[in-house]
Amino acid sequence: LEGATGLYFPQSEYVETVYVGQLAGTPILQVHAMLDSDSERPRFYLCGINSLRRPAHSSWFNLDVNTGILSLNKTLEESDFAMLNRHSWPVKKLVLHAMVLPNLTKKSQCIKHSPRVTLDFVNASLPHCAQTDMKELCFSHRDTAIPHIMENRFPGALRQLRRLTRLHVCPNYTISYHVESDTPAPFAVDENTTELVVTAALDREESERYRLLLVCTVRTETLITKVETSLDVFVNDEDDNAPYVNGTDTADIIISFNRTKGGSFGTLFIFDRDLTPIFPIDQTHNRYVGTLLNKDPWIKETFDIKGSFSEMKAALGGIRETVHVYQLVLKRNLYVTENRTLQLDYLVNDITYPGLEGTVSLHFNVTILPVHMRFANITHMFTLTRRASLYAQVGRVCVENCQQFDGFRVTYRLELPDKNASADVQSCYSAISITQAEDEMWGLLYVNDTEALRRPECQDLQYLVVAQEEHTLLEASTQIHIILDAQANKASQGSQQSLSCAENRQRGDCESVRGLGATTGRCQWRQVTEKGISENYSTCSPDLRTCPDSFCDAVESKDSSICPQDCTKKSVIGGHERGLRNGIQAGHGTCYCISEKCFCEKEDVEEVICDDMCKTVIATA
Amino acid sequence: PRLLAKEVHLNVTDLGLGYQTKEELIFRYCSGPCVEAETNYDKILNNLTHNKKLDKDTPSRTCCRPISFDDDLSFLDDNVVYHTLKKHSARKCGCV
Repeated sequence: LEGATGLYFPQSEYVETVYVGQLAGTPILQVHAMLDSDSERPRFYLCGINSLRRPAHSSWFNLDVNTGILSLNKTLEESDFAMLNRHSWPVKKLVLHAMVLPNLTKKSQCIKHSPRVTLDFVNASLPHCAQTDMKELCFSHRDTAIPHIMENRFPGALRQLRRLTRLHVCPNYTISYHVESDTPAPFAVDENTTELVVTAALDREESERYRLLLVCTVRTETLITKVETSLDVFVNDEDDNAPYVNGTDTADIIISFNRTKGGSFGTLFIFDRDLTPIFPIDQTHNRYVGTLLNKDPWIKETFDIKGSFSEMKAALGGIRETVHVYQLVLKRNLYVTENRTLQLDYLVNDITYPGLEGTVSLHFNVTILPVHMRFANITHMFTLTRRASLYAQVGRVCVENCQQFDGFRVTYRLELPDKNASADVQSCYSAISITQAEDEMWGLLYVNDTEALRRPECQDLQYLVVAQEEHTLLEASTQIHIILDAQANKASQGSQQSLSCAENRQRGDCESVRGLGATTGRCQWRQVTEKGISENYSTCSPDLRTCPDSFCDAVESKDSSICPQDCTKKSVIGGHERGLRNGIQAGHGTCYCISEKCFCEKEDVEEVICDDMCKTVIATA
Repeated sequence: PRLLAKEVHLNVTDLGLGYQTKEELIFRYCSGPCVEAETNYDKILNNLTHNKKLDKDTPSRTCCRPISFDDDLSFLDDNVVYHTLKKHSARKCGCV
């Protein structure tokens, strides 16, 4: 099997230039393969990347099966260039592919990760020594390939530094190379072969990258010239570190108010000094497999462990490593009555780690507490004026800790404390009602019948609020007391139609009208002088505590004219920013709404401000 | 003659909508006389108003208004928030 060998090319691309007139047998470049052991003998071949016919030019070149030296099979003629070049470009790119195998073969199809050899065929003859820049004599300016070396492998040559095409261009020059680096690096130049050699097995966990300086020395009879170029060599990772826990492998978890499916609890970390690549997706390098060790079917249908990983840099040395995060996840909503203690054991296995200690076990100690539904032990008193309009908000109730509830729903209803009360008294109780939004835990009390509210015989109202959990039907109740002001206002007793407060554009109009949802019976004005588009725009509202607050609550959503500023679904005219769901988040100047259509605009009438001139006039008057 | 929308090059801040931005736009508006489009209805209204037969009422006359609007305009404000203006500029005008 091809995968059984560790042979690989340290770079994915080779680049060189060829010229018209170069003779058959001329060496062009050398490819190298990294070895697994000293006894390995790599065999090099040119190959085709697909089964289609190979390009005509591939027969012009020969790759030496033992040395990896690519040379010309034929002398390059001007006619060769003309044949390839239908577009009359000055340079034609010739592409070949090379592969390496540990044995002799007749295969011609490329194996995985075969590097590309790109040859720029120039329609000119090789420049003479006098025309050749020293830099080009030493290094190809086109060659930008970056070597990658696997860690823990056998040392060896990785790159030919000499430009083989220029070997005989300047016969009187002596060219030699050496390698330098700021930090100790296991790299050297073999003086006999001018190859860059890695002298020891590398460890990615020690250094991920070596920054080398390649120095080329050119000696002529009179001059020594040094040319330098930098080269980064990267170290590729393999799974040679076992996972480990830094700190605790146990999480203590208490599940109480949040019992929702998908809720996550506790966080345990597993560290791994190896990298976990995310691309390509199908690879298994350093992937972990987790197993829940508990056999209990209740646990299996209730809990899951969710794992995710990310990359971080070690504090020391800045080498990248992997952190795996594990959390307990609820697979279903827990009932409020469920009450138990259990321990979950989770085994994590680094499946590609070759050693014995590739597993870590994690423990989640879970306590599930039942939810006791009760109201806070206080008297629920609300005051309300008899002038209040329909849909005026009286107050809100909630069982203890309701804001933290998740995964179950509590609904509220109003009951009479005395079911045997007379029909007259009972009719008073239609004054108030309770409502609740689908995703809200609060029960909102609001005026449901203004006529009952205003009848003098309807004295202070007392109700029983009953909260009920939807699955278990568990109930809790509390008494609420609504205190009405002593006198029903005769003037407001008529069947005066309540309009939408939001229609009013001016303070005077706003504060003199009755509006739907108005707690005091009259609309309230919010005056703001901020410039531009502001969340504090001026507007007329039934109750400034609830409208506008950028949230369309359960009472407001009963009628679109109560608070269209929070609830409108239609597009708003004028400078504004829309709310996340509905309504106006911010507006310019004054925002008003006619039915559900809202407008925001700045009044042109400047407020009369008494300036210095004005003050003088008043003073002298 | 067909009424043509006139155009003027403005900064978005000139629109007075409160947006703070450096973006600009071409604003097109309708203006022009609509005498040619008037009917007997308009003549009667004119006469009644002139003779003060209609108390305080002054019913609207034919006027030059957009009959279709330009495409929406989107811009980024100084706080890097996007806004989109709809029906803000005239594409075609007519006497209505």
